Amino acid sequence: MKTTPLAAARLVAMRDLRLAFRKPSQVIQPLMFFMIVATLFPLTLTPEMSRLRDAAPGVLWIGALLSSLLALEFLFRDDAVDGTLEQFALSGQSLTWMLFAKTCTHWMLTGLPLALSAPIAAAALGVSVGAMVGVVASLALGSFAMSLVGAIGAGLTLGARRGGVLLSLLTLPLAVPILIFGARATQLAITGGDIAPPMYLLGAIAVLGVTLAPLAAAAAVRIGLE
Amino acid sequence: MNEFLDMGGYGKYLWPAFALGFGIVVLNLVLALNSLTSAKQEAKRRLEMSQ
Amino acid sequence: MATWTWFHRLASPPHVYAFARRWTPWFGGFAALAMGAALYGGLVLAPEDYQQKDAFRMVYVHAPTAWLSLMIYTTMAVAAAVGLIWRMKVAHAAAAACAPVGAWFTVAALGTGMLWGKPMWGAYWVWDPRLTAELVLLFLYFGYMGLRAGIEDPVKADKASAVLAVVGVINVPIIKFSVEWWNSLHQTATVMQMGKPKMDFDMLWPLLLMFLAFALYFVAVLLIRLRAELLRRERNASWVREVLA
Repeated sequence: MKTTPLAAARLVAMRDLRLAFRKPSQVIQPLMFFMIVATLFPLTLTPEMSRLRDAAPGVLWIGALLSSLLALEFLFRDDAVDGTLEQFALSGQSLTWMLFAKTCTHWMLTGLPLALSAPIAAAALGVSVGAMVGVVASLALGSFAMSLVGAIGAGLTLGARRGGVLLSLLTLPLAVPILIFGARATQLAITGGDIAPPMYLLGAIAVLGVTLAPLAAAAAVRIGLE
Repeated sequence: MNEFLDMGGYGKYLWPAFALGFGIVVLNLVLALNSLTSAKQEAKRRLEMSQ
Repeated sequence: MATWTWFHRLASPPHVYAFARRWTPWFGGFAALAMGAALYGGLVLAPEDYQQKDAFRMVYVHAPTAWLSLMIYTTMAVAAAVGLIWRMKVAHAAAAACAPVGAWFTVAALGTGMLWGKPMWGAYWVWDPRLTAELVLLFLYFGYMGLRAGIEDPVKADKASAVLAVVGVINVPIIKFSVEWWNSLHQTATVMQMGKPKMDFDMLWPLLLMFLAFALYFVAVLLIRLRAELLRRERNASWVREVLA
């Protein structure tokens, strides 16, 4: 039966979501990590809310970045270990589309929950309620771009020793634009400015990521599986 | 000559900058040549062992 | 067909090795001459800058190193892409040879930039877009070298790092843009742009000559490192035996 790339992608996505429900720890752990990191910053800086509010974009984004790097290890690892990834590559379906599907579900399970629960951390850092929509939106879009870029690194480091640290080293420089535009959007949201310009730039990066990142990730995975 | 070394007061930044830049130029040449020498030695050893 | 012979020679390790051996002294020699002339032109002949006085002369070492750090990364990415597309071992070897040189020149750019920044803005480190972008470039180099070192199989290491190099080179303009955008948001009273003084011809020609000198020098160093890489990769090929005899 010949399936279209989109249908294959949807099957992969459904499978990933089903598996994730059986192992909720993989979703909860990165989230907890984010919360803990956000808590550590005031301990290292100051309890003064006004000063924390100034630092909030940085705290939220560094926390999101680190949490995202941790979660990226789960993106391909289980499937690589049990041979599913190899089956995907050999299946004759578009590996690019399947990995795109995996990346999207990964974001739905890591980046999106993080963005939605960010208001808790943000409130603890002195951010007003009115800013929360902007905070969530910027983190949601930014974490989506992060998942796309991170998928490339995750694919490249599949066969490498100490892949976790290497993954961070590879991904962080590539994530600099996401960090700059995303943090600026969050900052504007907190101070009450117009978040549109940085959000558009972040969106442009996400679009570029959607078109190119799955291709690079598929190439990387194929190399790793050879 | 002293004027040249002084560079209008900026000498203490300028000369270290040139030393650093051109030092790295020389260093990379040396490192490259070392790399070639050791590659040749390794290859020689490998050939001797396989004979 | 002459064109295909040329291309096949480019892919053949013994031919490339012989070419490299022959031409390295020429590139090196001309590089040294050009560097000498450019240094004389920049340090002695060129008049001092209106604003920066003699401090501007640091451009003659900082700008070429910065330019080289970027040019080497691009060369590395192009070589990597050629290696991926046409499966040329020599291209992968060239990419590997570029990396450490590029990283060193990024360090040089950062160091000379800091030494230039101190008299100009009073601090060794400023989050100027050029310096910040150079720092990110250094991390990109480390990532590339780290990936190569982290993968056991040399063929996989070649290909994986090639993908990374191509992704990286696409990212470099985006990173530069984002860093410049970020810096422009937080414009302080003193405009912090890595001093690009307005140059009249007497100041410009030594700079252009220095760029040429560094480019020739890089080719020489690359050819030396490439030879080393080819020897290491070719193991027991018969041409290696002949070359070492």
